[in-house]
Amino acid sequence: MSSNVTERIAKIVRVVPRNRNTELFLLLFALAINAFEVVQVQLSTLQAVTGDFWFYWGALAGAGLLLHLVLRLRAREADPLILPIAVALNGLGIAEIYRLDIAALANHQTELFAEKQVIWSLVAMVLAGAVIMYIPSHLVLRRYVFIAGALGVGLLLAPMLPFIGKTINGASLWLSIGGLTFQPGELAKIALTIFFAGYLVQRKDSLAMTGRTVFGIQIPKARELGPILAIWVVSLLVLVVQHDLGTSLLFFGLFLVMIYTATGRAIYTVVGLGMFLTGALVASRTIDYVTKRFDAWLNPFDDGHYNAIGGSYQLVQGLFGFAHGGLLGTGLGGGVPQLVPLAESDFIVASLAEELGLAGIFVIFTLYILLVARGLRIGFNHNDDFSKLLATGLSFVIALQVFIVIGGVTRLVPLTGLTTPLLAAGGSSLVANWIIIGLLLRISDTNRKEVE
Amino acid sequence: MSELALFLLRIGLVAVLWIFVFSIISVIRSDLFGQKVAGKAAKQTATQVVSQAHIPNPPTGPVRVLQESNAPSSRTATKLVITDGENAGREIALDGRELHIGRAVNSDLVITDEYASTQHAKLVLINDEWLVQDLNSTNGTFLGGVRVGIPAVVKLNTPVKVGKTVFELRA
Repeated sequence: MSSNVTERIAKIVRVVPRNRNTELFLLLFALAINAFEVVQVQLSTLQAVTGDFWFYWGALAGAGLLLHLVLRLRAREADPLILPIAVALNGLGIAEIYRLDIAALANHQTELFAEKQVIWSLVAMVLAGAVIMYIPSHLVLRRYVFIAGALGVGLLLAPMLPFIGKTINGASLWLSIGGLTFQPGELAKIALTIFFAGYLVQRKDSLAMTGRTVFGIQIPKARELGPILAIWVVSLLVLVVQHDLGTSLLFFGLFLVMIYTATGRAIYTVVGLGMFLTGALVASRTIDYVTKRFDAWLNPFDDGHYNAIGGSYQLVQGLFGFAHGGLLGTGLGGGVPQLVPLAESDFIVASLAEELGLAGIFVIFTLYILLVARGLRIGFNHNDDFSKLLATGLSFVIALQVFIVIGGVTRLVPLTGLTTPLLAAGGSSLVANWIIIGLLLRISDTNRKEVE
Repeated sequence: MSELALFLLRIGLVAVLWIFVFSIISVIRSDLFGQKVAGKAAKQTATQVVSQAHIPNPPTGPVRVLQESNAPSSRTATKLVITDGENAGREIALDGRELHIGRAVNSDLVITDEYASTQHAKLVLINDEWLVQDLNSTNGTFLGGVRVGIPAVVKLNTPVKVGKTVFELRA
C-alpha cells in the first residue's frame, strides 16, 4: 500500500550520524591535548605563551576540523576513531619538533623543521580530504591495479635515476627537483599495497590450493613462487643499491603479510622470511654500509663503533635519552633530546621517550596499536577480498613502519632510516601516511553502503 | 614558571594522554557490547512499560484501540530501545528514516534468533507517526501483545515484539 511513500522517505532522510559526533568529541579532545603540549613547550622553554601558539596549534586544529567536516559530508559511516588518533599523533610530533627547534635556535643552528612540519601536515591533511572527497569508493582502485604496480616499482627505483636522484647520509632515497626533495618510496608503499591487493585477489586460489603435500605440509608449485622471487629481488635491489634496509624490509614484510592474509598458508611466510634473512645476512657480511649497521646494533657501546662515523653514536645517545626520561619523563621542554642526531625525524621516538617517559611512550604505542587494530577491523568488516586485503595491507604498512623504526631505536632490530608514521619530521612521510588514513576512512565508509 | 607548576604540567600531560587512550577504548567497548540504557529517565519509562504490558489484550480492532489509548504520540520518539532479547539495553537513534528489522545483515536492527524472518518488519514515519508494518513474517510482529495485521501506529513506550526481541520507542 504505502510502498511509494516509504521509498520516498528512505531516499530523503539518511543515516544516524552518531559516528561523527563521537569523532568530533574525540577530535576536540585530541586538539585540546595538542594545545596543552604546545603551551607546555612554550612555558618550559620560553617561560611564556607567545603568539606562535596559534600557528603551531591552529593549523592542525583547522585542518583536523576541516577533515571532520569532509567526513560528515562525504563519508558519514566512516570509522570515528581513526581521525582523532591520527591528529593526536601528528600534534604530538609537531609539539616535539617545535620544542627541538627552540633548542636549535638557542644553539644558533639554522636548520629548523617545525614550520615545515606544520605546513606539510596541512598539505597532507588536505590531500587526505581530497582522497575522501574524490574517491567515491575504494573499489575503483581495483581498475588501476597494474598501473599502481608499475607506478610503485617505478617510484621505488626512481632515486637510482641520474640527475634527479639524490643521496643523503649514504642512502639514495630522494628525488630532488628544483630544490625540493621528496622521498618517492613513501608513496610507493601505497601504490604497491593497492597492487598486491589486486594481484592477490586474482591469484589467491591458485596460490592457496595448488601444490603437493609433503609430510603434511603443502608445498606450492614452483611457478607460484615466481612473484615472490620478483619482489624479493626488488627489495634486495633497494637494499644493495639504495642502501636502505628499512624500506627493503618494509616492502618485503608487507608482501608476506598480504600473501599470508590472502592464502592463509604459513609456508609462504616461512619461505619468504628465510629468503629475506639469507639475503640480509649475506648483505651484512658483504656490503660495507650494512655491516656497519649490524655491528652498531650488536655492540653499540663498543668504543670503536661509538666513535666511528656512521657508527653507534646516534643509537647510544637515543638510548641515553630513554634512560634520562625514566618513568614519567622530563616534561616537554625539560630534557635534552637535541643531543641525538636527527632527533626530529628518525629519533623522534627517543626524543618523546625522554620527555614523556615510559608512561608517555606507551601512550604512543597504544595509539598506534589502536590505529592498526581499527584498520584491521575495517578489513574484517568487508565481504569482498579486495577490500579486506587493501585495508589489512594499509594498516600493516603503518604497523611495520612503527615496528621497524621503534625496534631500531630501542635496539631490537638493526637501526634503519624509516620514519615514524605521523610523528617524525618529513613531508613525504606525512603526505603518504595521511593518504593512507584517508583511504582507510574511505574503505570504512563504503562498508555499509556496499551491503545495501 | 615555578618548578611545581612545571611538575604539574608534566604529570598532567601524561595523565590526559592516558585519559584520551581510555576514552577511545571506551568507544570501542560500546561498539562491541552496545550502550547501556542508563539514567533515571530510562528507569522510569521502564516501570511504565511493565504496567502497560499487563493490560489484557483487547479482543478486536487492535490498531484503533491502541490509537485511542492515551499513551503519548510517537512523533516525539527519538530512539528505539531494546528491552528484552539478546541485544537488550541497546538503543538505536531514530531520525525519520525507515528502519528495517529482521535477520538480514543489512537490516537496521538485526535480530538473529530463529523466530525472526529475514525481512521481518519495518518502522516507517508517516504523518508524524511511527507505523510498524509486518513484512509477511512467519511468526508475526506483536504490538502491545497483539499481532500486527495492517500497519499500526506505535505509541511511545509500547512494547513491540519481533521474534524473541522486544523493543519500544522512547522520547
